[in-house]
Parts: sequence; C-alpha cells; structure tokens
Amino acid sequence: MIDCEQVLQELSNYLDSDVTEQLRQQIEEHIHSCGNCKVLVDTTRETLQLVAGEKVLEIPHGVSTRLLERLSVLWK
Amino acid sequence: MQADASPDDMELVRRILVGEKECFALLVERHERSVFRIVQGILGNTADTEEVLQESFLNAFTHLGGFRGEAQFRTWLIRIAINEARKKVRKYKPQLHDSIDETEEDGRNYRPRELRDWQPNPEQRMASKEVAGLMERAIQALLRGYREVFLLRDVEQLSSQQAADTLGLSLSATKTRLLRARLMVREYLSPHFRQRWHQGLLSRLKQRGE
Repeated sequence: MIDCEQVLQELSNYLDSDVTEQLRQQIEEHIHSCGNCKVLVDTTRETLQLVAGEKVLEIPHGVSTRLLERLSVLWK
Repeated sequence: MQADASPDDMELVRRILVGEKECFALLVERHERSVFRIVQGILGNTADTEEVLQESFLNAFTHLGGFRGEAQFRTWLIRIAINEARKKVRKYKPQLHDSIDETEEDGRNYRPRELRDWQPNPEQRMASKEVAGLMERAIQALLRGYREVFLLRDVEQLSSQQAADTLGLSLSATKTRLLRARLMVREYLSPHFRQRWHQGLLSRLKQRGE
C-alpha cells in the first residue's frame, strides 16, 4: 500500500498518465479509501482541465495588426 | 496546390532563407498566440508583453539562419521569447535577477491546505472571462521558475521533455516544478470553487449511503 505522501509526490505524473500500471492501481486504491487524496486528485485534475479549456491569456485586439506592421519592414 | 496551402514550419523557414521573406508573416500568424500567452504569463503586463512579442519575432527573423531544425520552430521561438521576457524582468526588477527559485525546489516541502471538494462543473458556474481572469492571477502568483514550467506544460501543452529542453532544465527538475506549480494553482483557485460546508457534508453522507 502507498500512503498520502507518495500520492502527493506522484500526483502530477499520475494525472499525466506517466506512472506504471502497478503504481496507477495503487494510487487508485488509495484514493478510493482516502477522502483528502481523492479531493486533491479531483481538484488538481479540474485545475488542468480549466487551464486547458479556458481562454487564458488571450491576445488582445490590435496586437496582431501592430506586430505585422512592425515586422513588415523586413520583407518590403 | 495542396502542398502550398499549408506548408509546415520547416518549409516556411527554408523559403524565407532563400529570399521569400514574406513567408515569415505565416509563421507569425501561426505562433503569435503562443508567444503572447507565454510572455504575458511571465510579465503580467500587456504593454511590456507587446514590446517583447515584437522583439522576439524580430530576433527570430534576424537569427533564422541559425535555426538548424533540431528543435521544432515553435519551441525555438518560445526559447527566444522567454529570454527576451527574462531580460525585461531583469531590467525592471533587477533584485529578482537571480531569484529563479532556489526556494523549496523540492515538492516534498509543500503541503496542500485546501482539501474541501469543489462544486461540480466550476466552469459552468462562473463566466468564462471570470475563470480566465482568475487563472491568470493564479499564474501570476507563482514564482517565476514555477510559472514558466506551468505556462509551457499546462497552458501551451508542450510535453514535459519539450518544456525541459526549452527552459534548459533537467526533466526531473521540470517535473518537480510542475507538481509544485499545479498544486499552488489549485490552492489559489480552491476558495473560489469549493463546496459550501453543508454540501461537503451531504456528499460525504451520500457516499456512505446514510
């Protein structure tokens, strides 16, 4: 059996599917019976889904046009 | 011609180097959003970011002959942009010059505090713009070494190895920083998304079948 500390250390690798099958099973067995680790895994997974799905750090209107204007001297 | 409809980056670089300089506009169009996101994430200031964005592409054009194609054009460009952004940080905050995070490098020192579950579907409970703003503040709250890894891996979706190569870090240091960055972003978001105490109690009771 693995403990909460090991789940914490492997959390990122687990979410990236970058753990062995054996470790994956051990983590899943642990979180099935440990409320805190389950919350930690679920909410970190949600965090990654939010950052990938939201329009974070979008380029504002006008920036592209000014960039191309500045660079166009290179090929004129 | 099909091949000309969307030439890949290497092909565009080759054409630019033989004199079709206007092909650079296609590379700009393809990668400006990535560069903007990363630089804005590092600097947190749109005016400075715009300046660095322009400098990065100018720099890339000038040094295009030195691009050997060992890395993808995108990661080569991102490396240039990160260097330009770091220069800007040093200019305005010289005291931070060497602060690239020797503190608590090891994720073992980190203990999550927020352990209450979140409400289901947080992205449906808050306007998309609000979530994006919150996420940007969470990223800004990270120390720069963690922020850069998080931006490359989780915002830009580079692989851990690509992020490591781009930042000049070992794979293991990249993964350690990534773990810590993800935990800290989660911690920052938690108060905004967590269940109210009675919801938590109800869902626990439900799980137990009471």
